Amino acid sequence: MSEALIDCQGLSYRYPAAGAPTLRELDFRIDAGAFVLLAGASGSGKSTLCRLLNGLIPHLHGGEVSGVLTVAGADPRLTPPRRMSRAVGLLLQRPDAQCLATTVVRDLAFGPAGQGLDRPTIARRVRETADWLDIAHLLDRAPHTLSCGEQQRVALAGILAMEPRLLVLDEPFAFLDAAGAGRLRELLRRLRAAGVTLIVAEHRLREVADMASRMLVLHQGRLAADGSPRQILSGPVAAWGLEAPGIMPPPPPAPSALPGEPVLEWDGVWCERAGRSVLRGASLTSAAGEIVALLGANGAGKTTLLRHGNGLLRCQRGVVRVLGRTVGRRPVAELAREVGLVMQQPARMLFASSVRAELAAGPRALNRHDPAWCARLSERFGLDPLLDRPPQTLSAGEQRRVAIAAVLASRPRALLLDEPTAGQDTGARAALSALLAECAAEGVAITVATHDPFWAYSFCRRWAILAEGRIAADVDPAAVLARYEHPHQAGWPAWAVAA
Amino acid sequence: MAAPETEESLAPLPARAGRFDPRAKLVVYLLGCGLILATLPLLELIPLAGAALLGIVLGRHGTAWWRVMRLLWPTFLLFAIVVGLAGGPEAAAGAVLRLLALVTASVLLFATTPPEELGDALLASGLSPRLAFLLEGTLRFTPAMADLAREVREAQESRGIRLDGFYLLRNSPALVTPLLASVMRFADDLAEALEIRGFGGPHRTPLMEYRFRTRDWGLVAIAALATVFWGSGLPLGLFWN
Repeated sequence: MSEALIDCQGLSYRYPAAGAPTLRELDFRIDAGAFVLLAGASGSGKSTLCRLLNGLIPHLHGGEVSGVLTVAGADPRLTPPRRMSRAVGLLLQRPDAQCLATTVVRDLAFGPAGQGLDRPTIARRVRETADWLDIAHLLDRAPHTLSCGEQQRVALAGILAMEPRLLVLDEPFAFLDAAGAGRLRELLRRLRAAGVTLIVAEHRLREVADMASRMLVLHQGRLAADGSPRQILSGPVAAWGLEAPGIMPPPPPAPSALPGEPVLEWDGVWCERAGRSVLRGASLTSAAGEIVALLGANGAGKTTLLRHGNGLLRCQRGVVRVLGRTVGRRPVAELAREVGLVMQQPARMLFASSVRAELAAGPRALNRHDPAWCARLSERFGLDPLLDRPPQTLSAGEQRRVAIAAVLASRPRALLLDEPTAGQDTGARAALSALLAECAAEGVAITVATHDPFWAYSFCRRWAILAEGRIAADVDPAAVLARYEHPHQAGWPAWAVAA
Repeated sequence: MAAPETEESLAPLPARAGRFDPRAKLVVYLLGCGLILATLPLLELIPLAGAALLGIVLGRHGTAWWRVMRLLWPTFLLFAIVVGLAGGPEAAAGAVLRLLALVTASVLLFATTPPEELGDALLASGLSPRLAFLLEGTLRFTPAMADLAREVREAQESRGIRLDGFYLLRNSPALVTPLLASVMRFADDLAEALEIRGFGGPHRTPLMEYRFRTRDWGLVAIAALATVFWGSGLPLGLFWN
């Protein structure tokens, strides 16, 4: 019988000042060398369990833990995280937040140096890990200049340089494009072959389900299922907020009317940043009542293109037109009357003392406040119960709804959204697509930058694929997917090439 | 037993960036700052600010200096107004010049010394790992805070909420509230990342060996002599009289 690396009996946890426990009576054992997929909807307790395993909870976050928990022979409640980190590596969701040094080589050395190892040993570990993860060419680079996929490999390397026996990954695929996801899958395979025990908490089940030897499903803090992924996913998983991998979402219904007049036009836009050509003559038109999915690999320039749309970035060559008028040097705050942009991190937009005030802030600044319209938006976005709450205290999904409603409150003719589904579960993604469809039906021209083609397929009838700085294809998604026998297995670069 | 240190065994760990030990540069910087703060007359501040600017020009750090100044000019303006209202135009000019000299000296230090190298060198001198990281982190994460402020500003302008000039005063909550929330989130993330990487133990290995050499002692001695000489008032007395 294999050695149990994790023993969890009757484990419950309650955050400080929280009414109900986040985890309730969890019972499971995980053997050394296992590959476990930890699934569940947002708020089911996945991240909390990950943080319990290496002692971040309760040492950093406090709260009440009850039951038995043993990880690699130690009780994380009694062992400080810095000591647990010798056996348990934890990769958090946002790789950029985990880079601790100004160069990759220093970042990789950070953990071993903290263990007090001598310099030649630190150097050896850095060398070996960098070679293993194929990032030796990045060692002198600053982490913040890397793509999301590269940052994640660096963050993972920083943890692996400490040689943990157990590696816990909290939604590692959330910010990755298909190419980055493919590389991560390959890495996970190699880690497993090397004998590292793996626990991967993930919404995007299609990325991991076929590799995992076991699957745990958390639902409202309880262990709802424990078995092989094949066995669990062949059952009714929708009740747990999960989506079985391999099932393509139905395509959206054909629009009842043809798209209206062009609202936002990018015409041959060029942009060079930090010596790199990000956009090389990108052209795209977004028409009233239409939803365009702007797809492309990490670093393809999706965000850059969107930021040209509302004037945050100015064209070095080419032109952007809003309702036929050139953007030129018009101030961003003036363009906000016609073009609304919802950024990747909505919390950066929210400042008012209540959701009600937040919805009114933008329109007031533009002298076009319409209380009746704000009330309609509040109802449509399900914000009525939240109207008196401070936006900064809401969950990430709620904040995103508030941010979109707050931008729409100014009645822009075009709406730009940057990666609105990153880290969101199936239910939140479906709700968002329904809301955007309603907005489009009212004549708003919507452009959504996303690396989630499955979500985009469910509600966008037009895909603009950005590759090598230009729109390589502007097509109906069905036309792209029809080229593949198993579309859900099609990797992103293949689509770009095919397009 | 520790493995022997050779150039090969230490690759790919970084080598020291500058000619001088970071601690020597820190001492010179602190002496310079002390002198700038202790010098009161406007005419005596001019050569000090000039010397710092000369360092920027000779070291070709003009781009870094200009980036900082572009960010700080509203602070300079506000400072001048406040001091000017309280003490008149000469006091305002002196205050702005002092601030300019301090900022320029700081840019010069950090353009020539990576914060991590400074932290590492202090660690090698026996400073506790926590204190060394506190110093290093404060320096290193300041640009990250500036980036956060820029992102919040752009997010608000995208909603039509202006944060330039006079509007900054009127709409300041739109900048301050999300910025504070983002900074707190950043601090939370950083704390987690540090714990995950085993930070907080009693021993931390500096990534390179630091030794105070003759040229470092020479630099410190010259700076100390220059400070005493300037502090005596002799050079200015000779020049102005």
